[in-house]
Amino acid sequence: MNKKWAIIAFVALLAAPVMAMAEDVTLELLIHQNQALVDYISAFNQKFEAKYPGIKVNASIVKADELATSTQTRLTANDVDVIDMFGFAQGIQSFMKKADKPNWQSLIEAGLLMDLTGQSFLKNYDTPTIKDAGSFGGKVYEVNTGRYAFTGVFYNKDLFAKYKVKIPTTWKDLVAACDTFKKAGIPAMTCGGKDGWPILVAGYGILLSAYPDQSALVKGLWEGTIKWNDAKSLDMWKKMQVLARDLIEPGASGIGSDGAPGRFASGAVAMYPAGSWDASNIEAANPSFKFGYFPMPGSDNAADNKYIAGKYDVGWVVNAKTDHKDAALKWLAFFSDPVNYQAYVTALGIIPTQPTAKLDTTIGKEMAPYLSSFRLGYELLWVQPKGAGQWAQPNASFFKPYNQFDDAKKLADQAQADLDAGLNAVK
Amino acid sequence: MSSAGPIRFVLRFPSCPSIPSARSATSASLGFVPRLPLSSHNASRKGGTMKQAHTINFGSRKAKAIPYLLLAPGLLFYLVFSLGPSAATAAYSFTDASGLIGSKASWIGLDNYKEFLFMGANVRDNLEITERTLLFCVLVTVIQTSFGLVAALLLDMRMRLSNLFRTVYFLPVILGATVIGLTWTLFLYPLGGPAERLLGLLGLHSEFLGGPPSTVFYWIVWIQIWANMGITMIIFLGGLQTVPAELKEAARIDGASGWKVFRHITFPLITPSLNTNLLLEIIGSLQAWQLFLVIKGPTNGLNVLGIWVYALAFGRQSNNPTQAAMRQGYGAAASMVLFVLVLIIGLAAQRLLARRERRILG
Repeated sequence: MNKKWAIIAFVALLAAPVMAMAEDVTLELLIHQNQALVDYISAFNQKFEAKYPGIKVNASIVKADELATSTQTRLTANDVDVIDMFGFAQGIQSFMKKADKPNWQSLIEAGLLMDLTGQSFLKNYDTPTIKDAGSFGGKVYEVNTGRYAFTGVFYNKDLFAKYKVKIPTTWKDLVAACDTFKKAGIPAMTCGGKDGWPILVAGYGILLSAYPDQSALVKGLWEGTIKWNDAKSLDMWKKMQVLARDLIEPGASGIGSDGAPGRFASGAVAMYPAGSWDASNIEAANPSFKFGYFPMPGSDNAADNKYIAGKYDVGWVVNAKTDHKDAALKWLAFFSDPVNYQAYVTALGIIPTQPTAKLDTTIGKEMAPYLSSFRLGYELLWVQPKGAGQWAQPNASFFKPYNQFDDAKKLADQAQADLDAGLNAVK
Repeated sequence: MSSAGPIRFVLRFPSCPSIPSARSATSASLGFVPRLPLSSHNASRKGGTMKQAHTINFGSRKAKAIPYLLLAPGLLFYLVFSLGPSAATAAYSFTDASGLIGSKASWIGLDNYKEFLFMGANVRDNLEITERTLLFCVLVTVIQTSFGLVAALLLDMRMRLSNLFRTVYFLPVILGATVIGLTWTLFLYPLGGPAERLLGLLGLHSEFLGGPPSTVFYWIVWIQIWANMGITMIIFLGGLQTVPAELKEAARIDGASGWKVFRHITFPLITPSLNTNLLLEIIGSLQAWQLFLVIKGPTNGLNVLGIWVYALAFGRQSNNPTQAAMRQGYGAAASMVLFVLVLIIGLAAQRLLARRERRILG
């Protein structure tokens, strides 16, 4: 009898770790730092773990501009299962010679992203989104969860009302509005200048006003029909210089991209040129704060300023070599459930890619008039020719006080010379 | 061990007669290398008394292998973690490797080097980056050595609180680059940080680390020096303690001033410490990248070769913050250029410093 019990105990001892391994799966998630996204995913994961007790989800958070590098290293180390990926819509076009492939294409060709074709949860999303922002070679690799605008300006409704400032629809109006606030001792605009890219993004609105058809701009630059130093572009550079030097508050270079929404929500600043992804962060920082969002009026012609452009943002991809395929697909299916997805859209203020979801938040209402003409921005379309110089991009942060240029003409010529160097090199 | 009796040291060379085995353990202090009995088992079989001398024949094949066996772990570590990756980097530089596992890497000959050194505006940009790297090296080496020497001389005077100051000066050395970057970023925060408030008293404003690269560059030079001066100081202190006090004393009795004592006695005698410091700083500053990454990240007009290599291989693309470079082969070529630069400057510096040391110390 004792022997029998000893054998049972021994077998149980051997089986216990195996059973535990079978039950406890830890799903590794990689997402970028956007407080609204982080908060939502944290709450969502708890719901998911409650529904699937054998699966735990561990989310790693990295800065937005380090996501692509972290994706590369984590996939190579094979220690991640589900990843949030930007920029799936960017691809090489026929006129782009000898250009490097976008990251997502390299990852797919290396066999690192799982083919999601045929998964039932894909039916919940817009067919064009799945095609444009998730497919390659006839297969689906990404579930894109929404779009954000990045050419608009948040404004403080109370300050605008107090100083009787109307929403500017031309560049002249915008500069006049900023002057009004500055004369009252109120910083006109803030920005997360410490990370560099928020000032680049702040200038995208001016670029859009100059070139409302961003696809044509990209093609024109590659084919030489548009120059960074022609009259229209020079006007754009001059306005970018005014933005960097005069409109954005002194000291903004010390504010990180995650600190800027809080600075704006404190009510101390009148405007904040940024992507609509910060709407939820502004609300979280100060729930009673009243704000709006208008397209950056980068042109003196109001008709050029009625568009907003942006990008496909958070998209989920799965590591093709994951040991937790079943758990990863369960997580994606649960995320894509229309009820959960609606909660996600509301929490993030993201333009939905599921046709049944609605963006009824403050930012949704503010952007509603412009959504019908929403377009993909330059950042998602442009691919730099090899050999182009470091200044060959329309970046407001190249101006003082953030960088070395204080002459718009000089920078325009430099940008075009640097672009020409690349275009000539790949001829 | 105790049962094996005292350890004996016997040297036998093939061409020499054996040395009597009755030498005591004090032989070790005369330069013989102490060895444990090769077979304590044999010794213990003799009832705890060592009757047969345990000898090591240094000419034997077995004995010749021992140094190599002792070196093996370190050598293996060096091969796996240093020489191996270095050789792999050199090989990678001739491929179009993306750095992604599973992706194909093709041999593309010198294409990466041609692109890095000659393609389009890369010539100008990379030359500018190299010049900035050299300027960084010169500034850091000269200032850090000078400050470290002055601090060491002051602390060597053994004044009150010198131990406290020694700790304070050395403290930044044990901090990581991230902590150092964060500390200085907070200190230089341009919206009401401590430095900004001090400047504000004079009615001035600066963006500090967010300003033009020409300004930020000098801040990073300073932070690099601040972070590493402690180690320079400690090396100098070690050197100063080897200077015989009698020499200085004699010179003072002969009427030499403090400056003359320093110039003609102290400074020449700490030449080995100076050379060590100079070489460490030259090589370290040429390869610097961590502070640049933590404080600013890859930034036009501010990059040095170290961070440029990182940016080209792994980092985000400057024209698009959401895309990574994924060009490990190209980054490897850039790092080989950096390697050659460090090698040339490092070897030249070492040769010059060694010549100077021979001239001064004989």
